Amino acid sequence: MIHFDNVTKVYTNQNRPALDHVSVDVDKGEFVFLVGPSGSGKSTFLRLVLKEERPNSGAIHVAGKELSRLSNFKVPHLRRRIGCVFQDFRLLPNKNVYENVAFALEVIGKPRRFIRKVVPEVIELVGLEGKAHRMPDELSGGEQQRVAMARAFVNRPMILLADEPTGNIDPATSIGIMKVLDRINRTGTTVLMATHDAAIVDSMRKRVVELEDGKIVRDQSRGVYGQAY
Amino acid sequence: MRANFIFSEVWIGLRRNLTMTIAVIVTVAVGMALLGIGLMINSQVSSMTGYWVDKVELSVFLCKKNDVFPACKDKPPLTDDQKAALKQTIQSMPEVERVDFEDQNQAYENFKAQQGNSLLLSVIQPGDLSESFRVKLKNPDNATAVSESIQGQTGVANIVNQRQILDTYFGFLSKLRNMALGVAILMVFAATLLIGNTVRLSAYNRRRETGIMRLVGASNIYIQLPFVMEGVIAGLIGGVFAAVLLIVTKVLLFEGIQSYMAVPLGWNTVAGVITFTMAVGVVICVLASFITLRRYLRV
Repeated sequence: MIHFDNVTKVYTNQNRPALDHVSVDVDKGEFVFLVGPSGSGKSTFLRLVLKEERPNSGAIHVAGKELSRLSNFKVPHLRRRIGCVFQDFRLLPNKNVYENVAFALEVIGKPRRFIRKVVPEVIELVGLEGKAHRMPDELSGGEQQRVAMARAFVNRPMILLADEPTGNIDPATSIGIMKVLDRINRTGTTVLMATHDAAIVDSMRKRVVELEDGKIVRDQSRGVYGQAY
Repeated sequence: MRANFIFSEVWIGLRRNLTMTIAVIVTVAVGMALLGIGLMINSQVSSMTGYWVDKVELSVFLCKKNDVFPACKDKPPLTDDQKAALKQTIQSMPEVERVDFEDQNQAYENFKAQQGNSLLLSVIQPGDLSESFRVKLKNPDNATAVSESIQGQTGVANIVNQRQILDTYFGFLSKLRNMALGVAILMVFAATLLIGNTVRLSAYNRRRETGIMRLVGASNIYIQLPFVMEGVIAGLIGGVFAAVLLIVTKVLLFEGIQSYMAVPLGWNTVAGVITFTMAVGVVICVLASFITLRRYLRV
C-alpha cells in the first residue's frame, strides 16, 4: 500500500537530510506506529506520502501509484484515498460536527443525498451519536479529535495518516481515540500513526517503525515504543 | 461541481471583504467607463473622418476690388476671360477632379445659410465676398502640392484647405480620446492591484478552509473557483456601473454635441463598446485573481 524505496529528503537551507535513504513497505490493512524523537523525520514521512513534499531521491509508491509520475492535477485524487488526522484537530470553528464532516465530501463534489446518508453513519462510528449539531468549541479535546477522525474516514480512504493524534489529549481519553483508530483499521484501512506516546504503542502491540535522524533504526512487528525499556 | 457550495463561499468572501470589494467595483467602473468613452470618441472620429473626407475641397479665393490680401495688392480683379483661363489651368492639373466657380451671389447665399440671422449678415453685402473656385481633388492628401501650384497664379487671393479646419477639430477629439484611454489604463492598473490585494486577504481569511480542502483532495478548480468568482462578480458589478456611465455619457454628451458632428453615434456602437468594456473588466479580474492565487494559495 505504501512503499518507500531508498527515499532521501533534504529541505532547502538544511544540510542534514530529514529522511536518509529510507526503505519501508506497509501492506494493505496494516497498523503501523511511526516512532522517534522530534525531528527524526516522522512528519516528513507522512508529508511525502501525501505528496506535499517531493523526495530528493528514491521512489515512493502509494496505493499502486509512483508519486513522482503523478501529475499535479491528479494529486487531489490521491489525497481522496488518504485520510489525515492531526494533533491540532483542524476543525472549522464556524461549522458544527455534521457540517465539518460533510465539508470533506462537499468539496470533492459528492451528491447531497450521499452525504446525508454517510455522515451520520461515520459520526456514529467514532462515537459521537447525538452530538452532530454541537459546535467544535462545545466539545472536549477527545471529542474534537473524533470529529477529525470522522472527517478523515468519511470518504472511506484506503490509508489513514495520523500525526500525533493523541498529542493534545489526556491518557484516559487517548484510549478511546485508539479504539476508534483500531475500528477504522478493522474495516481494512491501512493506518499509519506517528506518535510519542509510549504507553499507547506498548498497549497496542502493533508494528513499530522507529526513526532516528532520518534513518530507520528499528522495524518490528508487534513491537513496543522503546527496546531499552 | 456543486454551484450552491461555490456561491455560498463566494458570498461569504465578498461580505468579509466588503470595503475592498467596493473599492474594486468603483475602480473597475471608472476605468471601464473611461475606456468606453475613449472607444466611443474613437468610433465617432473615424465615422466623421469617413464622412467628411469625401466632401473636403480646396477653396481658391480670387481677388476682388481693393482686396487687402498681399497677393492682390495694386492689381485689378480678373476679367471673365482670365477667370476662364485660370479655371482651365486648374482643371488641367492631374490631381484635380472637378472645379466649380462660385460667384459673389452664390457665396452670399451660402453665407446666409450658414449664419442664419446673425448681426454679421446684416452688414455683409454680396460685393464684400470673394469669388472662388471650389476645387475637388482626386485624393485629398495631395492638397498641399496642388494649393502651392495654384497660389502662384495671378488673381488668386488665398487658398483655404478645408481639411486643415477639420484636422484641428479632429486633433482636439484625438487628444480627448488619448486622455480618456491614458486614465483608463491607470485605473485598470489600480484595479489589478486592488483585486490582487482582495484575493490575498480572502485567501488569508479562508486559509483553514482551503487547507482542509487540500487535505481531503478537493480539486484545484474547486479550491480556486470561489476566489476567482469573487473577482469576476466584483468585475461584473463594476462593468454594470460602467455601462450606466457610458449610457449617461452618450445621452448627455454625445447627443448634446450631435448637431456639430453630422454623423450621430449610434446605439449599436454604444452596445458594442459596453460589451467590450465588460469583457475587458471581467478578463482583467480573472487574470488578477489567478496570478495572485498562484502566489498566495498553495495547491
